[in-house]
Amino acid sequence: MSHTQTITKFIVDEFLPDVPAESLAADYDLLSGGVIDSLGLLKVIAWLEDRFEIAVEDLEIAPDNFRTVAAMNAFIQNARQAA
Amino acid sequence: MATTAAMRAQLPARSFVESFSANARRFPEAPALIWRGEPVSYRELNDRALHARAELGKADIGPADIDTEPIGLRCAKSPEAIALILACLMDQRSFLLPTTTLPEHTLQELFLRAGCARVLNVSGSSSGRCSDRLRSFSPDPEAVTFMLTTSGSTGLPKIVPLSEGAVDRFTDWAGAQFELGVGHSVLNFSPLSFDLCLLDIWTTLKHGGCVVLVEPARATNTAYLRDLLLRYDVELVQAVPIFYQLLTQKDRDNTAEFASVRHVIVTGDSIAPGCLAQLPGLFPRARLYNLYGCTETNDSLLHEIDPTQAATGALPLGEPLPGVRALLVNEDGTIRNGPGTGELYVSTPFQTAGYLDPPHQQSRFVAHPDGADALRYFRTGDLVHRHENGSLTLVGRTDFQVKVRGVRTSIEDVERVLGSHPDLAEVAVVAIPDPLAGHLLHAETRRVPGSALNTLTLRQFCVEKLPQTAIPSTFHIADDPLPRTATGKVDRHMIIRFHERRLT
Repeated sequence: MSHTQTITKFIVDEFLPDVPAESLAADYDLLSGGVIDSLGLLKVIAWLEDRFEIAVEDLEIAPDNFRTVAAMNAFIQNARQAA
Repeated sequence: MATTAAMRAQLPARSFVESFSANARRFPEAPALIWRGEPVSYRELNDRALHARAELGKADIGPADIDTEPIGLRCAKSPEAIALILACLMDQRSFLLPTTTLPEHTLQELFLRAGCARVLNVSGSSSGRCSDRLRSFSPDPEAVTFMLTTSGSTGLPKIVPLSEGAVDRFTDWAGAQFELGVGHSVLNFSPLSFDLCLLDIWTTLKHGGCVVLVEPARATNTAYLRDLLLRYDVELVQAVPIFYQLLTQKDRDNTAEFASVRHVIVTGDSIAPGCLAQLPGLFPRARLYNLYGCTETNDSLLHEIDPTQAATGALPLGEPLPGVRALLVNEDGTIRNGPGTGELYVSTPFQTAGYLDPPHQQSRFVAHPDGADALRYFRTGDLVHRHENGSLTLVGRTDFQVKVRGVRTSIEDVERVLGSHPDLAEVAVVAIPDPLAGHLLHAETRRVPGSALNTLTLRQFCVEKLPQTAIPSTFHIADDPLPRTATGKVDRHMIIRFHERRLT
């Protein structure tokens, strides 16, 4: 599974259990779509850190890094390259 | 200190604006705000406020009566926003400061209802000195300044106008009670539109202290919050339970003690006992308080928590603040004097004269049930138990209201909004206690036959109709009818049980 698929599966399992994974577009705005609120964001970040073995610096907890599945994917790629 | 606060209550209230201006003259270089690591001095903040005031005046059109119309403020937290509010206070203009996370059409409706001639965003360009050719300020205790909104979750929040006198009296009490003065730092966690800011921002600025502003976008970032507390030697903290939950989370390196903090205020309900028990260790030199209030009345009851007993049972609500009357009223409208449960009525020196929309008030602002005094009492809607020893604890609501992340949310309102979705045949919303959020909402729904409605589209619908905290955390969309009791009512207990089973 690609990172994008893995992230999509997590988001769907966690927040949209009745939604088929393929119907969640990678560029869907999860924050303004009401899928993830600020508490949900903490959950997502904890999962990303754990699943992809990256450390999210507090400075990076800017909502824009986690607004869409694609943004999360880009964030992981960057974090891994930097490591 | 309670005696100082009580004595203070006997004196005429000091004007907020006069006190702030005096601070800017006497301690111009003292920090008034900390924002994104930078201090803003009293001189600087005062200059920005005067500048904003001049801008306000310029924008006034035509006859003098126009500048008495309320102004709408759409301000996220920033020094510019605070300067703009100061400008309104200096000008004795009333201004509506709604929660910025409300849906757009709700905001528009509120500005309309409040009669706001203009709605201002913070431009952020105000800087530089300007000459003060504006009319001089003279206190008017009856003038309405702040107009806050109740955190009613849907439809239209109620507008709560506060008079200059109410704000002056409150900021006098809070300053004396929590020993605020020049050089004292206070953390501001809440959004600018919350009533809690009357203590952590406006009381602090009245008394020459320094407000350490938490950036809303980083408000759930534990390391950032810890850093603010340590770096700026914060002495007073007032926040909703989630703040303390974040600080006491065990899974991160949690060794810091905040020794500078002298006063820690929790705001009532639903702080988890486990979290509360950790507060004395986290704030080893602080006195801990439970402070009860509502937007309509501001703070009303205060209880100092014994740190050695912080973990036991429901927190007492405490004693009425100086000048505050509190009553327990039975369902039949009679006063309950002894132990037992009743609705809490309060009357405070800080309360609103009533909602802006008169039709809302009749049921909520009432005379003393026995006519024992001429005060106006606010029916809080909180069910409160008086114990044998006279102490009061919260037991629930007379209506379907819960707090989600510190925001009072009406379950019935959320149900009504969801029920307006054309694809939903049945809706029930239940509140699930949650250690972090206080409560989380779960929506159990049945869609109409043939509908393809799913959580994604339903959440999108909610975003347009509900403030963020009122959007249920979880949805279950089914094609089967909701469980009902023998009398035909939706069986909420069953829904909670089903929901819990699905989670495990």
